[in-house]
Amino acid sequence: MPMVDSTTSTRQKAIVEAQGVSKQFGDLEVLTDIDFRLSPSEVVCVIGPSGSGKSTLLRCLAFLEPYDHGSVYIDSQLLGYEDSGGKRVRTSEKRVDEVRAPVGMVFQHFHLWPHRTALENVTEALRLVNGLSRREADEEGMAMLEQVGLADRAGHFPESLSGGQKQRVAIARALAMKPRVMFFDEPTSALDPELVGEVLEVMNKLAADGMTMVVVTHEMGFAAKVADRVIFMDQGRVVESGAPDKLFRHPQSERLQQFLNTWRERHID
Amino acid sequence: MFDITILWETRELILQGLWNTVWICFLGCLLALSLGLVLAALRLANPRIFSYPVACYVELCRGIPLLILLFLLYYGGPSIGLTLSASVAGVVGIGLYGAGYFAEIYRGGFKSVPKGHLEAARMLGISPWHVLTRIQIPQMARLIVPPSTNQLIILVKESALISIISVDDLTKNATSIVNQTFQVIEPYLAVALLYWLIIELIARGGYALEKRLANRQPRPIEPRGGTRHAHG
Repeated sequence: MPMVDSTTSTRQKAIVEAQGVSKQFGDLEVLTDIDFRLSPSEVVCVIGPSGSGKSTLLRCLAFLEPYDHGSVYIDSQLLGYEDSGGKRVRTSEKRVDEVRAPVGMVFQHFHLWPHRTALENVTEALRLVNGLSRREADEEGMAMLEQVGLADRAGHFPESLSGGQKQRVAIARALAMKPRVMFFDEPTSALDPELVGEVLEVMNKLAADGMTMVVVTHEMGFAAKVADRVIFMDQGRVVESGAPDKLFRHPQSERLQQFLNTWRERHID
Repeated sequence: MFDITILWETRELILQGLWNTVWICFLGCLLALSLGLVLAALRLANPRIFSYPVACYVELCRGIPLLILLFLLYYGGPSIGLTLSASVAGVVGIGLYGAGYFAEIYRGGFKSVPKGHLEAARMLGISPWHVLTRIQIPQMARLIVPPSTNQLIILVKESALISIISVDDLTKNATSIVNQTFQVIEPYLAVALLYWLIIELIARGGYALEKRLANRQPRPIEPRGGTRHAHG
């Protein structure tokens, strides 16, 4: 296997690992020297104020944004770049797909395809990527929709689903490809408050079933209850990270204290 | 005064004009539609080296009257070694002229598909080709049908200009009839009606396509484990 170096052995256990990842948009440095490790079955929540770089981090880990410096490994394989005669070059889209295959992603705005029914949204990749027949894909897709409690909405187009239902279909769509790690990019931020619960419930269940997850979120309650580890980011850096209990009860940095205070003020009335 | 019989007497000229207008417009529009797609793809593709030249082409197309373009092709062509018959110059002129407009219509269609829809597909491992054909094109198709229909109609109407470079189209033959018979109203009214019929046909086609794309019914879902008849 190419790209093997002396640190391979320590990477062996991480599903996702980032080393010294930096990212700039023009002159603006949005991520600075991020190190990150995700072990199997671990649930990590990333919190922080808007513009702290937490979504960008997740998008770099998925290579939806190419990172500028550092390395991202999925299953010990470098994502997005390869070594070509001592120079780092972008890999083909196909290679990106191969390395990224264990990752499923759920977006803030669902991004269901409006010209496809709920079931077709779930089965599209099963058929195009996994080569399943329509019948096999439908069966698999229905099982996925059942898992998120939406089997009865299979024939509906996204426009006739509520936000919560859309997000659950999006989760089913990602799960259909049997990912070993799920990335959630603010999965409940676009939802009406009364619809947040149903989505979090599905995520709770996933975590309980041992799914490895990275969740960028503003849901402190979810983070406190479900996360094994919470990462607090601000201005493109990881400011603090640790068990939720420790982080929420005894924040070390002033920034996190401020952030938690602001959050509490807003949520107590 | 109003003598409808001259239309019958000159029917061959009218039909010839109709046929020429139809095939030249058909080929010209086909060229415009397909060249436009190539231009839009080049403008949006990575790397962006073609983006600027294509943008310039589009601006030129929209900035030059069709008649001038036809003059350049038909009368100017031979001096640069390009000798076209009047009909072919008409097809090429309409094609080159329309392509610039269609390129913009397509570009707008591509841009209107949210980037996230493509990212979601890519994250599932769906190849860029399938993202284009299964996610982008079906979504943009609904949006580009109305402006494309509109543009086709404009091109057909503007095709009357090819009569000036001596193509025996509806407009030119109508004028011939006027010159022969000294009757103005009848021939021009007749060809106006024929233009209107062609355009009405295009408009109806556009509506039908639009409706077909919008009213896509979900296919029935077979109940799991049961027979088809168990459907309630």
